[in-house]
Amino acid sequence: MLELVDLGKSFDGVSAINGVSFDVGEDEYLTLLGPSGSGKTVLLRLIAGLDRPDAGRIVLNGQNITNKPTHLRGLGFVQQKYALFPHLSVRQNISFGLTNHHSTPISDANEVNRLCDEMLEIVGLSGLADRGVGQISGGQKQRVSLARTLVTKPKLCLLDEPLGALDANLRERMTVELRDIRARLGVSFMHVTGNEDEALGMGDRMIVLDKGSVIQIEKPADVFSRPATVSVARHMNNYNILPGSTRNNHFVFAGSRLSIPANVENAAFYVVGIDKVAVEPVEAPERKDAASIDATYVASEFMGSRVVYLFERQDGQVFEVERHLSRETPVNYIPGETRRLSWDVNDVLTYAPDGSLVNNSAQLRGAA
Amino acid sequence: MTHISDSQNTDQRRFFQRYAPYFLLAPGVTWMALFLVIPLVMMVYVSFWTQTTFAISSDLTTKSWVTFFSSETYFGALLRTIRIWLTVLFFTFLLGYPIALFIGLFVRSKTVQTLLLVACVIPFWTSFLIRVLAWRPMLGKEGAVNLVLQKIGVISQPIEVLLFTELSVVIGMVQIYVVFMVGPIAFMLSRIDGSLLEAARDIGATPLMTFRRVIFPLSLPGVTVGAIFVSVMVLGEFATASALSGRKVNLLGNIIVTQVGSLKWAFAAVIGVVLTIVMAIVITALLRLVNLREEL
Repeated sequence: MLELVDLGKSFDGVSAINGVSFDVGEDEYLTLLGPSGSGKTVLLRLIAGLDRPDAGRIVLNGQNITNKPTHLRGLGFVQQKYALFPHLSVRQNISFGLTNHHSTPISDANEVNRLCDEMLEIVGLSGLADRGVGQISGGQKQRVSLARTLVTKPKLCLLDEPLGALDANLRERMTVELRDIRARLGVSFMHVTGNEDEALGMGDRMIVLDKGSVIQIEKPADVFSRPATVSVARHMNNYNILPGSTRNNHFVFAGSRLSIPANVENAAFYVVGIDKVAVEPVEAPERKDAASIDATYVASEFMGSRVVYLFERQDGQVFEVERHLSRETPVNYIPGETRRLSWDVNDVLTYAPDGSLVNNSAQLRGAA
Repeated sequence: MTHISDSQNTDQRRFFQRYAPYFLLAPGVTWMALFLVIPLVMMVYVSFWTQTTFAISSDLTTKSWVTFFSSETYFGALLRTIRIWLTVLFFTFLLGYPIALFIGLFVRSKTVQTLLLVACVIPFWTSFLIRVLAWRPMLGKEGAVNLVLQKIGVISQPIEVLLFTELSVVIGMVQIYVVFMVGPIAFMLSRIDGSLLEAARDIGATPLMTFRRVIFPLSLPGVTVGAIFVSVMVLGEFATASALSGRKVNLLGNIIVTQVGSLKWAFAAVIGVVLTIVMAIVITALLRLVNLREEL
């Protein structure tokens, strides 16, 4: 439906977006994950037409819309700060796009009210239609902003960090509701976020953006289990990343020799999931096909359903081990004691010095 | 002994705590009473005094009021004042709004905004009288406007209606007071969040629609404040009218000046009261239009 081809944009000579190409399908929830400063908002603004790209083109249903003015594009952009019209009521805000449309304004007040009420019901705000926008809460503003966009039946709805300003409870509820609303209306959503949980949990597909370039486009489960680069792995917040180098079929990290999967050469990053690590006594026997390091226990973080143990590696960095409390009871280690952290070699991902994935044992194992 | 002085102290403290707001209010209230309330009451009172050619006495009469409303000259001046005020208000808005729109909305740098606003105020560094009188060589029969227009062949005869008419008074007033319209509107416009305009465009509104439905309504409080500034100043005007009309256009302000000059205090008081009432009505109406307390 929407296709971006080699899109580029720079501000004052500093490149913000560089060679971005991907497409958005019909009836799809696409999430775009990127750290702040990665160019995600710039990308949305280019698609919405609020900024013009320096290079590349934007194609919507076969039509080049790169230089089309915003109001003629028929795309919806839900802004991060809602941007509700302060002088209008909730109903007037939502009906704005209907009554002020550039080519097909609806003048029949009953029809406008009907569409408004329908949308209010979908976003769960029935009964608040006549409130001023200053009299509703942040979460409600978020919904009004969404309703104001969706009521115009956009071909694609762009959401700029829609959950960023909401508190944790509300965020969880909106996560579910956004997916429901989208499914009900059949509109494609492109949801931009800096939060990996949101991107993983909500998208049918997800795009990882870093420094203005697309790094990975895949299903969230695949991105999570097989990050394309070491920086994506870092984003996932679920991996321990050990820097070092390969020597004689081993990976050397801060003086430790770690086993590596077969056929891996020239790896610079040795990556292991925080939930794949076993904590054992130092004198535990080496297992076959396992690698281990000794680390000093520092502290633990209780997160409700899980607990994260923090260890200090030989190079002074933190090594995290996660345990799900539904499977086991928490263990109390003594701060300062040394433990052996070990993991299965087949759970290891290795990355080349340029950051690209070298092996892919998770997939190999899945295929076997 | 100490016990008593202690309780005296607490009593005193309690007294001050209780009446502190009134102590803070006192200077302001005294000031307003001395220089606003009492003079206003005096003005109303004096307007009912008996005025003879050479003297004024405090015997109450409605004679001055009857003269004002039955005289063509005086009542006509009231109507003329209102007409000129409305004309000037209209043109200051027509001229001021686009300027304010440019400064407040199109210039996004705060520094440039401030510079432009200061530039609008620069004419005020010269004296009021000079600013008014400068219009004479501009608008006169052999003034700059006529000369230029004749030179480039737009007209063959000089336009005489330019000076010493109501038109010249309106031109002069619009030029002097337009900045009071620009300031408040530019201020309101500069507070509009750019994302609102983007949101309006994004859901399909054309730039013109965005202006009509978002920008203009949000700038209305500024228009109201500007209109109040201009109205208050124009309604009480007399200097521009006498300097640019050759004393042909008499506004209420001009009549007050003449009456006071010839020591007709009672009659001047009548016009003063009328003018105050007109202003009160105008300001009340403008404030009804837009709820400033809510908008600002």
